Amino acid sequence: MTAPIALRNVGLTLGGKRILDGIDLEIARGSFTCVVGPSGCGKTTLLRLVAGLVLPTEGEVQIGGTRVVAPRRDVAVVFQDYGRALLPWRTAAGNVSLALEAMGVAPRARPARIRDLLGRVGLAEHADKFPAQMSGGMQQRLQIARCLAQQPEVLLMDEPFGALDAMTRQGLQDEVLALVGDSGATVFFVTHDLEEAAYLGDVVIGLLPHPGRIARQVAVKLPRPRDQLATRELPEFLRLRRELFDFMRTAEA
Amino acid sequence: MRGRGAVWQLGSLLVCVALILAWQAVAQARLVSPVFLPPPTRVWAALVRGVESGVIVQKLAGTVLRMIEGWALASVLGVALGALIGTSRAARQWLGPTLEFLRPLPSSAIIPVAIALFGLSNGMVLGVIGFGALWPMLLATVHGFAAVEPRLYEVGRALGLSRWAVIRKVALPSAMPDILAGARLGLTVALVLAGVGEMLAGRDGLGQWILLAARAFRAPDLYAGVVLFGLLGYASALVIGLVERRALRWRQG
Repeated sequence: MTAPIALRNVGLTLGGKRILDGIDLEIARGSFTCVVGPSGCGKTTLLRLVAGLVLPTEGEVQIGGTRVVAPRRDVAVVFQDYGRALLPWRTAAGNVSLALEAMGVAPRARPARIRDLLGRVGLAEHADKFPAQMSGGMQQRLQIARCLAQQPEVLLMDEPFGALDAMTRQGLQDEVLALVGDSGATVFFVTHDLEEAAYLGDVVIGLLPHPGRIARQVAVKLPRPRDQLATRELPEFLRLRRELFDFMRTAEA
Repeated sequence: MRGRGAVWQLGSLLVCVALILAWQAVAQARLVSPVFLPPPTRVWAALVRGVESGVIVQKLAGTVLRMIEGWALASVLGVALGALIGTSRAARQWLGPTLEFLRPLPSSAIIPVAIALFGLSNGMVLGVIGFGALWPMLLATVHGFAAVEPRLYEVGRALGLSRWAVIRKVALPSAMPDILAGARLGLTVALVLAGVGEMLAGRDGLGQWILLAARAFRAPDLYAGVVLFGLLGYASALVIGLVERRALRWRQG
């Protein structure tokens, strides 16, 4: 079986500047991969390459064994800036509908799908609200619902909780784990929060900057389902946390 | 809040009444000859007479129809052309200089050209209204399209929306506040040019009614026409305001 995401010697040069260099990566089906690294290491660019929003100047990105030359409908992207990624003139239901419209779902079939998707992210009661009437956490849930509407094989998340407060963030971490556990999607999750990476991931990838390259690949051997208190107290979690912090310290030195 | 709004409305009404009373006083004191400034009572009588005989209603209807037709023509052209220029760099570069040359031309300078081309016809008046009202619509649409959040275009790409779907579902609604502001300006221009066009081309309407009344020293009829023009402008602003409130509901978060 081919890996859902594979990068083969991927490099990217933009305007004479080397952004990413020699990226080789295989991601297992249904796994949760977190990417960390100091700012400017190309984490987000790497995600955009997998999304097909940017094309590599060398090597190739494959999804399900085919080369990525443009964005694909079975690859969904959750952007960090939910406030800009939602259509402000559409209600919550309307925003989810956008993805269904793009997928060519018949108008008659949409309302039930929308209800189901909003229910899954806990927004069933807020279908008629506009994004401006929702909190940051609700808006990000809405964006996740829109991505789930694509029934993605691959879910790409670019620092999705970076702008949220700590309580909301922890709640959403658990919701995302539950949602992707149900859907079986392969997740590629960029974050600058090392504990978040260890808490969520099966694998944590550490990037180094100038040019961006993979420096570390750490397997996370923490039991699932994870728990905000119990998991974070495990010796293995603390060891991982230490390893990642040490990595970041040397990366930034 | 509601109470205060009512007070302001009452205030604006009082200003209006005070002006009419001042007009009545000036006319009654014969500070200006009634041949040039009839009292509002006589203007009102002329208006009632015109409405009862149906003559002025017919003139008004002619002007309204002309204004709306010309404005609709300008809106369709303005939004279509604006969308093209706003979404295509090639169109911007190819059409830009020509439009910059045409844009500052006063519509009144176009009228003799239009008369030469179309004669003293309805088509000529429509053409002039369309030309004059096109620019506010076009510029507003171009501006609205240029201000679309780039992230939303990326969302469109990630969802695999077609170019047409992106224009219809993302760019056009996003540009709608600008387009409606342009429509408001365009409607005013259309009203002005409808009046001027009728005067110059002798087409049946309020403009012609005013001109003929002035030439025949029928001052009350003249003023009745002017008052109707004012009311027409006020009414069109109210209608656009209602449309704006309805279409931009999402902004009142």
